[in-house]
Amino acid sequence: MTTIDRRGLLGAGAALLAAPLASPALAQPRWPARPVQMLCPWAAGGGTDAVLRIAATLLERELGQPFNVVNRTGGSGVVGHTAIAQASPDGYTLGIITSEICMLHWQGLTEVTYKNFTPLGQLNNDPPGIQVNASSAYQNVQQLADAIKASPAGKFKASGTGQGGIWHLALASWLGAMGLKADHVRWVPSNGAAPAMQDLAAGGLDFTTCSVPEARAMLDAGRARSLAVMAPERLSAFANIPTLKETMGIDVTAGAMRIIAGPANLPAAVKAAMEPALKKVFDSKEYQDFMNARGFGLVYADGAGAGQALATADASLGDAMKAAGLAKT
Amino acid sequence: MQLSDRVTGGVLVILGGLAAWSGSRLPAVPGQDVGPAAFPMLIGSGLVICGALIALGIGRSFEVPEEDATEAAAPRFHGLRALIPPALLLFYMLASEPLGFLLTAAIIVLIGAVALGARLTLAVPLALAAPALVHLAFYKLLRVPLPDGVLPAPW
Amino acid sequence: MNELLEAVRLVAAPDVVIAIIASAIYGLVVGSLPGLSATMATALLVPVTFWLSPIAAIATIITASAMAIFSGDIPGCLLRIPGTPASAAYTDEAYAMTRKGQPEVALGAGLWFSAIGGIVGTLSLVLMAPLLAEMALSFSTFEYFWLAFLGLMCATLVARSSPIKAIASMLLGLLIACIGMENPAGTPRFTFGLTDLLGGIEPIPALVGVFAVSEVMRAMVTAEPPKLPHRKFGSILAGQWKLTKTYQWPMWRGNFIGVIIGVLPGAGADMAAWVSYAMSKKFSKTPELFGTGHPEGLVEAGASNNASLASGWVPSLLFGIPGDTITAIAIGVLYMKGLNPGPTLFTENARSMYALYLIFIIANIIMIPLGIVMIRIASKVLRAPRASIMPVILLLCAVGAYATGNNLFSVLLVGLFGILGFVMDRNGYPVAALVLGIVMGTMVEQNFITSLIKSDGDVMPFFERPVSAVLAAMTIGALLWPLGVWIWNRTGGRRLPAQGAAE
Repeated sequence: MTTIDRRGLLGAGAALLAAPLASPALAQPRWPARPVQMLCPWAAGGGTDAVLRIAATLLERELGQPFNVVNRTGGSGVVGHTAIAQASPDGYTLGIITSEICMLHWQGLTEVTYKNFTPLGQLNNDPPGIQVNASSAYQNVQQLADAIKASPAGKFKASGTGQGGIWHLALASWLGAMGLKADHVRWVPSNGAAPAMQDLAAGGLDFTTCSVPEARAMLDAGRARSLAVMAPERLSAFANIPTLKETMGIDVTAGAMRIIAGPANLPAAVKAAMEPALKKVFDSKEYQDFMNARGFGLVYADGAGAGQALATADASLGDAMKAAGLAKT
Repeated sequence: MQLSDRVTGGVLVILGGLAAWSGSRLPAVPGQDVGPAAFPMLIGSGLVICGALIALGIGRSFEVPEEDATEAAAPRFHGLRALIPPALLLFYMLASEPLGFLLTAAIIVLIGAVALGARLTLAVPLALAAPALVHLAFYKLLRVPLPDGVLPAPW
Repeated sequence: MNELLEAVRLVAAPDVVIAIIASAIYGLVVGSLPGLSATMATALLVPVTFWLSPIAAIATIITASAMAIFSGDIPGCLLRIPGTPASAAYTDEAYAMTRKGQPEVALGAGLWFSAIGGIVGTLSLVLMAPLLAEMALSFSTFEYFWLAFLGLMCATLVARSSPIKAIASMLLGLLIACIGMENPAGTPRFTFGLTDLLGGIEPIPALVGVFAVSEVMRAMVTAEPPKLPHRKFGSILAGQWKLTKTYQWPMWRGNFIGVIIGVLPGAGADMAAWVSYAMSKKFSKTPELFGTGHPEGLVEAGASNNASLASGWVPSLLFGIPGDTITAIAIGVLYMKGLNPGPTLFTENARSMYALYLIFIIANIIMIPLGIVMIRIASKVLRAPRASIMPVILLLCAVGAYATGNNLFSVLLVGLFGILGFVMDRNGYPVAALVLGIVMGTMVEQNFITSLIKSDGDVMPFFERPVSAVLAAMTIGALLWPLGVWIWNRTGGRRLPAQGAAE
């Protein structure tokens, strides 16, 4: 991956043009003095891409330099995450990392873990929900849980994402918390949340564990109901959905996180500039409006807090993957 | 590059066999009866059958006789010229980062044009103009981060 | 009615008009470049939509995608290099027409019937959205499996070579689609330890490789073909009305198939074009003319892929379920602009919905004049010497492949697929079938495996559900057809002419 250094140079040419505009404010070399490249491990047009793009636009306003989003896709996120971790730590190549970074290494797909990054700020967290078909007999999550416990293993079918994906692990954690084995409910791998929600509406599944925003259109259409959300507290955009904790006393908190990060050993100046800027971005009306419109969970944490969240997620996802037999190590 | 059906069919049989064999060695997924092995084994077996049928010449009667393109009187190694385009793509992969897009692209266009029999009076202007236009379109309009290398674009 | 007037006012706003025209030109250009698909044209627009008003943002997506699907036909017709996977089904046919000296008829048919398909698709969206959506929701994985399988069988119907070679090519495509970890089990397969292969092989580098690069390779070893008789490029639209009347029935069938396939999430314009082209050949009175430069298939498939584009919006707008990759991107934009998909969009936000319909219609109408200009410009490449066109195409292949993920590995892939396509083409293996296998592979496997998981390994549900049973019967029929003909020929029941049998 020597390519990364070259990529850093890419910005340099553009910086020559931009420098005269920015220079009056510079007493000493400060960051950012030239455009910053923001890598996105997921494809353009997806949720992570959208979050990063709006954040980059607002960062540009805060810090006065262009933040260019570049999608480095491939390898189920491995390629992009690796590119961020192995970028030269000068602060001019940053990116967005997602919960998958706490899963890929357990599956033996990469050596890169969350420790190879400098987290700068968490911008979003979407907890899993539990959705059933609108005509399902289960009116609340307790009824569903009782039915699952009473059924033979493999009778209930659930979906939400691919095998070993974040929502599969959420199911495994929930079952584990109920004292059941991870494969007590059969996981039907799907190509993302949307096909799973469609199959739920078509009557092919018993429930899904994707996030509530992903299920939103079907909920609005009256084709599905959300019984619970696996989060410490109710979601602001979906205040009528109870948490798993208040209904069953089970504390399962997994979720899809989106965190702005750079490679390890970022200079202090970068952290000092980025963390407050990200906080301002998060608090801005544009960002709040955007996230609310998409129904994405507004969860903020500074660099240290995001690092904490990553460490927690890494441990709990690792446990869930071992329980489900998905971990290689 | 014209191979007999026996050869291509045989290659397919081997390929299908390898796919089915290595597919069958994929680990089962815990908690699932149907794992990652099923599909490659199915495809692999299908390829073996098709390959065998082709090698045995079954189904030939369906083929429309090829009205073959006028193959130039082939001197020795003439067929190897076909490998120039893939080689140029390999060159792009290796050289575009260190040399930069403009230089790499110019070399590719120049070699490609000359190999196709263009005079230098055509090839050289083309090698100068095409990379610049492509760079403008992709770098400016489509925001593709093409590498600068040793020769950054002036825009 | 008030809301309709309101919608007209929304669409007539200067920013929306500018957005439509600019994205139309953009879509035409991007779609015609080999290696840049309609999906990518749309994806690259997303950052732009941040700055636009909601209606203008949606307008750019709708217009650009419709234009890109049409203009994907242009390089396919002129150079035998399809611009988008949706054009791959009938590229050989269109190119054959060009060689016969009728490029304007082929391109005109692409343009005219694309526009008709787009408008019919839009009308179906306006009139039957709830009905179509209901149908889409009744499809579970069992039905999708058969549908995908049926799509694959089209490869054998379309091919002019031996059906066995077509099946072999398609299986090879399916095998290539197995690469990576994007399979139901989430297990890396055939990655040889390469990280770049974990995500699997994208259809775009494969398409570019087997069509465009192998075409450049062919140019290296063959003498320059005799110049087309130097003649004036004829009128593009003249003759289209006659084609419309002659092939009225195939056209409507294409529209119908396109609407149905488009509505089903996960099956998009690519599949619509394939199925329609195969249907056209199957039911044609003159199937032996297919592949020799016969417009009938172009009429049906051209109408079909654009019709599917519009109806693909039905599940997206009603349930937030993407009909294809383009609407997947569009859904993101809808949410971002506060036009959340769902039935409420039709009731509470009716004027936005009407505006959206209007944009569809407008996009398909302005496609005709802009498309004519585009065709005129593009047809210049027929005049240019081959030695100047081919190197530029090669360069576009490299950059286009790189642009799909900003990953240099794709450039290598394009080269490898070029070699594969070249060798396959030389030996009578249809490369289009390979592309079909790669495009459909994930869908076939996904629905096959998940159906088996849901039925606990039982195969009966594949045949028990009513829609499923019909699709299964059609698939098995298509599967056994070549075999049946072969046995028929062998057992003295001849004389089915070889060409007719190859359908």
